[in-house]
Amino acid sequence: MYKGIGASAGIGIGSVIIVKEPSLDYEKKPVTDTAAETARFQSALDECVAKTTAMAEDMKTRVGEKEAEILEGHILLLMDPELTGQIESKIKDEKSCAEAAVEETCDFYAAMFASLDDELFQQRATDVCDIKTRLIKILLGVEDVDLANVPEGTILVAEDLTPSMTAGINPANVVGILTEIGGKTSHSAILARALEIPAVLSIEGIVSKLENGQSVVLDGKTGEVYADPDADVLEEYKAKRAAFLEAKAALKLFVGKPTETADGVKVQLCANIGKAEDATKVIECDGEGIGLFRTEFLFMDRPQVPTEDEQFEAYKKVAQLLEGKPVIIRTLDIGGDKEIPYLGLGKEENPFLGFRAVRLCLQRPDLYRPQLRALLRASAFGDIMIMVPMICCVDEFRQVKALITELMADLDANGIPYNKDIKVGIMVETPAASVMADVFAKEVDFFSIGTNDLTGYTMAADRGNPDVAYLYSTYDPAVLRSIRNVITAANDAGILVGMCGEAAADPLLTPLLISFGLEEFSVSATSILKTRKGISSWTKAEADEVAAKAMAMATEKEIRAYLESIAR
Amino acid sequence: MVSQKITITNPQGLHMRPAGVFAKGMAAFASDIKINFNGKETNGKSLLNIIGAGIKCGSEIELVCDGPDEEEALKTAIEMIESGLGE
Repeated sequence: MYKGIGASAGIGIGSVIIVKEPSLDYEKKPVTDTAAETARFQSALDECVAKTTAMAEDMKTRVGEKEAEILEGHILLLMDPELTGQIESKIKDEKSCAEAAVEETCDFYAAMFASLDDELFQQRATDVCDIKTRLIKILLGVEDVDLANVPEGTILVAEDLTPSMTAGINPANVVGILTEIGGKTSHSAILARALEIPAVLSIEGIVSKLENGQSVVLDGKTGEVYADPDADVLEEYKAKRAAFLEAKAALKLFVGKPTETADGVKVQLCANIGKAEDATKVIECDGEGIGLFRTEFLFMDRPQVPTEDEQFEAYKKVAQLLEGKPVIIRTLDIGGDKEIPYLGLGKEENPFLGFRAVRLCLQRPDLYRPQLRALLRASAFGDIMIMVPMICCVDEFRQVKALITELMADLDANGIPYNKDIKVGIMVETPAASVMADVFAKEVDFFSIGTNDLTGYTMAADRGNPDVAYLYSTYDPAVLRSIRNVITAANDAGILVGMCGEAAADPLLTPLLISFGLEEFSVSATSILKTRKGISSWTKAEADEVAAKAMAMATEKEIRAYLESIAR
Repeated sequence: MVSQKITITNPQGLHMRPAGVFAKGMAAFASDIKINFNGKETNGKSLLNIIGAGIKCGSEIELVCDGPDEEEALKTAIEMIESGLGE
C-alpha cells in the first residue's frame, strides 16, 4: 500500500496512465540570422498567448473563475515587456537560439521568485516554469500530452499536474489522480475537487513505482492507494465506492429543496462566512442566506483600519451576491485572543473575560462608527441585518442602537440611502444574555445563538485545556437548557431565532433544535446539504419525543449516549 | 521627473493579481515608471519584476515617473494603489 495526502474525496478504481512530459531537449547552437530567430520566437509567443487564452476560457466554463485565474496570470506574464525584452536581447546580442533564450530568462525569474521569503511569491516560480515549458514545446513543435482522450476508467499518475495539463482532463474518463507533489490546497487538489475526481497527492516516487495499465484502487479521503489489489481489497473498495456515490447522490437530491422536517415544518438554512468572496460558495452549495458574516478578516493582516468605503464595498458585495436573501453581519469581534497589532491593545490577564467585541467597540467609536455606517449604507443593496456580539446587558445593546440612530440621522441629512427598517439583533453567547433572553427579546430584532462561546462560558471551561476539556460539551444539560431558554423566549416574543455555532450542524442535536423551535440554522457551506437532509429525517412529533427524554436526563454522558443511540 | 511614497495595503502584498493590474495600467503611459523598494529599482510596467520585488502588505514604496506624461502617470499609479488594485 502507498500512502499520500487525500486531497479530493471519493474512491477511484481503474488502470494507470502515466503522464510524462515529453523530452524537451534541443541543440544549443548559436544562430546567425537573429532577425529570423526573433520572428520565430514572436510567433511562438503569439501562439502560446492564444493557446493559454483558450485554456483559460475553457477552464472558466468547465471549472470556475477562480481556477481560470492562474492561467489568466500566465497570459499577463507572457506579455510582460521585461520577459520578452530579455529573451529578444539574448537572441540579438548573445546569438542564442530562441529555446535557450526562453529557458535562461525564465529560469532567472523562477530562481528570483523561489528565493523570496513568502510562500505565495515562491509559488509564482511554478507559473514561470509552466510558461517556459509551454513556450519551448511550441518552439520545438512538441505536442502537449493529450489528457482529453484517455480511455474510460483512467487513473492519471504524474509527478505533478500543471495547469496546462489539467485544463484538458475529462472527468467522464478520469476516475482518479495520483501525484508525487502537492497538498490539499495545491492547484491539482483544487481542480480535482472542482471536477469531483478522487485524488491522492504527495506519494513519494509513485511515477516510477507504477506502470501503464496497472490496476489501482485509491481512497481520496484517507490517502490510501493499492496497486494490483487482491480480490478482497477490490471488493472492499467497490463497496466503499458504491457507498460514497450513494451518499453523494442522496445529498444531491436536496439541492434546491426547501429545508423542512419530514412533516413539513419549514426552517431556514444559512451559512457562515469569513470573507465576502465566500458568499459565492454559499450560493453554489444552495444556502438560503448568510447566518453569520464574521467581519474580523477585513481588519486582519493589514497595517491599518479598513476605511468605511472599503468595508461598504465588502458588505455591499455580499448583499448583492445573495440577491435579497438575508445576510446577518456580525460587527467586529476582536480583543480576547484575536490580536490586531495596529489597534495597540494591551495584553490582559484573562482575555476571554476582558476587553473584546462590543465592549471594545463601544469605547472605540473611531472603529465602530465607520463599520456601522458602512453596514447601513450597504443595507440599501440587500437584506442586511446587523448582529452585535458578546452582549451581556441591555445597556450595551441600547448604546449600539443609539449610535445607529445617530448614524441614520446623519445619512438622512446627506441624502444617502439605507434600509430604514434594518434589523439589529444580538449574538447570544454569554450566560447573562441567555438568562435575560425574555427581556432582550422585547428590545432586539433577532437572536443568533453562538454555541461555541456559550458552551465555554456556561461550563467555565477552556476546550483547549486538556485537563478541563471534558467539561466543554454542548450536550451538557446546562448548555441545552440555556439554548432552550433562548429559543423559547424568542418564540414567545415572536422574533427570529437562529444558531450560528458548530452545534447547528451537529446531527445529534438536530431533533432537539427542531423541538425547541429554532428557526434558522447557520452552518459551514459544505454542511448545508447534510444539515438539510438531517432536518428532513425527523418529524416534529418525533423530535419532541427525543427532546422530552433528553431534557429529563441529568448528565452529559447520558444525553450524549441517548442521542447517539437514536441518531439518523 | 516626479515621485511619491505610498504604502501597499493589499492583504497579500503585490502578488500576481494586483501586480498584474498595476503593470497593465502603467503600460498605457509613455513615461518610465520605476518602483523603489528595499534599495532596489523595479520596472513598474513589468509584472515579473514587481512580483520579484516581493512587496508585502504594509511595505512603503517610492514611485518615480519620468517622461512626457509623468504627472498623469503618477496620479494614476497612486489612485490605483489607493483603491486596492482590484482587490
